[in-house]
Amino acid sequence: MKRVDWRWVLTGGALVLALSAPLLLSGYPYWLHVAIVAYFYAILASSWSLLAGYAGQFSFAHMAFMAIGAYGSGLMGKYWGTTPLTGIVLSTLLAGLVGLVIGVLCLRLKGAYLALFTIAFSEVLRLTLNAELDITGGPNGLDLAPLLNTTSRVPYYYLMLALLLASLGFMYWLAGSRFGLFFRSIREDEEAAAAMGVHIVRYKVAAFVITAMIAGLAGGVEAHYIGLITPNILILGQMSIVIAMAVIGGIESLIGAAIGAILIQFSLELLRELGNWRLVAFGLLLMLTLRFARNGLIYPLIERLVLYQARRAVIEGREQKAKQVGEGA
Amino acid sequence: MMELEVRDVHLHFGGIRALNGVSFSVRGPELIGLIGPNGAGKTTLTNVISGVYKPSQGAVYLNGERISGLPPYQIARRGVGRTFQVTRAFRRMTVLENMLVPAMALHPAGRRQEFVDRAHEILRFLTMDHLALEYARSLSGGQQKLLELGRLLMLDPDLIILDEPFAGVHPKLRETIWEFITTVHQQGKAFIIISHDMETIFTLSQRLLVLNFGQLIADGPPEQVKDDPAVIEAYLGKEE
Repeated sequence: MKRVDWRWVLTGGALVLALSAPLLLSGYPYWLHVAIVAYFYAILASSWSLLAGYAGQFSFAHMAFMAIGAYGSGLMGKYWGTTPLTGIVLSTLLAGLVGLVIGVLCLRLKGAYLALFTIAFSEVLRLTLNAELDITGGPNGLDLAPLLNTTSRVPYYYLMLALLLASLGFMYWLAGSRFGLFFRSIREDEEAAAAMGVHIVRYKVAAFVITAMIAGLAGGVEAHYIGLITPNILILGQMSIVIAMAVIGGIESLIGAAIGAILIQFSLELLRELGNWRLVAFGLLLMLTLRFARNGLIYPLIERLVLYQARRAVIEGREQKAKQVGEGA
Repeated sequence: MMELEVRDVHLHFGGIRALNGVSFSVRGPELIGLIGPNGAGKTTLTNVISGVYKPSQGAVYLNGERISGLPPYQIARRGVGRTFQVTRAFRRMTVLENMLVPAMALHPAGRRQEFVDRAHEILRFLTMDHLALEYARSLSGGQQKLLELGRLLMLDPDLIILDEPFAGVHPKLRETIWEFITTVHQQGKAFIIISHDMETIFTLSQRLLVLNFGQLIADGPPEQVKDDPAVIEAYLGKEE
């Protein structure tokens, strides 16, 4: 009997569920909003996973790049009169440019030093946005024009879903290419990777630029969907939530981080009645994951169901081939 | 024919003189042993050749081109491959992925399948093809050393620098590493091998370089170096 390929069953099931969610949630617009925000966090968590889990650059500046996308688009619309779409495209490029600068400045920084540097950058940006009342609206925030000419949440839902799928598809393509291979070799051992001919500088900076652009793009779309952006999005707690989503999902897995983000975002909403206690529980879950499940809680399940099967298929195929060669000889 | 020239290399770390006017050359597929007491500067010298350190004074030339000052990845791409004293396999990557890194870095436009086929061929030579899909972290220390050698073959350098390839290795794997060195050397590659295993290095090498306190105190065939008073003094101390 032919074995069930869980890769396609799970992917197909998840896609059907995601595409039919607006129908399933037609009487619950709030939950559709939660789903849009969950997808937004899924983009952030998975792109951060590419930067930290694959390339080994443990940055705390990811929300800052997201904010550059959001504020950049809002400010361009306010002062230059650009359309939201143009603003999002330009601010995504701006986030990439800032990512390039931060990437170059962080080249020689590792571990705690890289984390502190990126926290400092994020805080400088937050304080600047807070202080510049006339330009950014300060703590009151910046109003943004809607991206889509509709009051329905459904088009935004599909837009954010498409963005999530496109960014995951792009990141998986990247991870499977020589970029991914070099990112991981740099994460494992920079000096050894360089001795194998890997251009460390190019790929470390590329990791910052690419993930900054993805975060900036997500930030721009989310900000135009919500219609308001405040510097509070840059507080360390927000960045910690993205990191926790990726860690609980599986820091070395793009899909694990994305699923982790979606599940956690929904859990946080479901447990809203608990107030701050839900964050305490969430923090404890993060601590337990770090202590007992270094690969996260979601990724090991995916690996067990999907990757193990794929690896077995390769091994069995090779054994079969060897057997045929043996019989032919 | 590959030609490496180390010309009057000095390297200072603050007040410490790690290398003090080291000069030698490698012409063609020589098999050279680099020995010396602990702290003599052997690993530092390999780090200078491979671009990890830039010499404070002097220079390194490869085929007439000055390579000192170039970043390590460029030196690797020009044909200098190395392993490290402590094995540095990419532990959370599979054996096959480890093998693909140098090939894809060296030939960005190359076909992945060709690299995969070549990797399997090399892994078979190293008797570890069955481990291709295993994570490097699950290999034994000796197997990780073999993996490092395999990666070097994927890089296909003209000069291979091995830092303590026999240290802490099971006798069976030691034979495989020995076979690797002799076979690859016969294929026209030059070797510089650092080892504290005197019996092995004296048997294996065609030429020995001896470092002591950052200075090259002997350079010649093993049988000549063995009786060199400066070498004996470096290892055994001066007779009072």
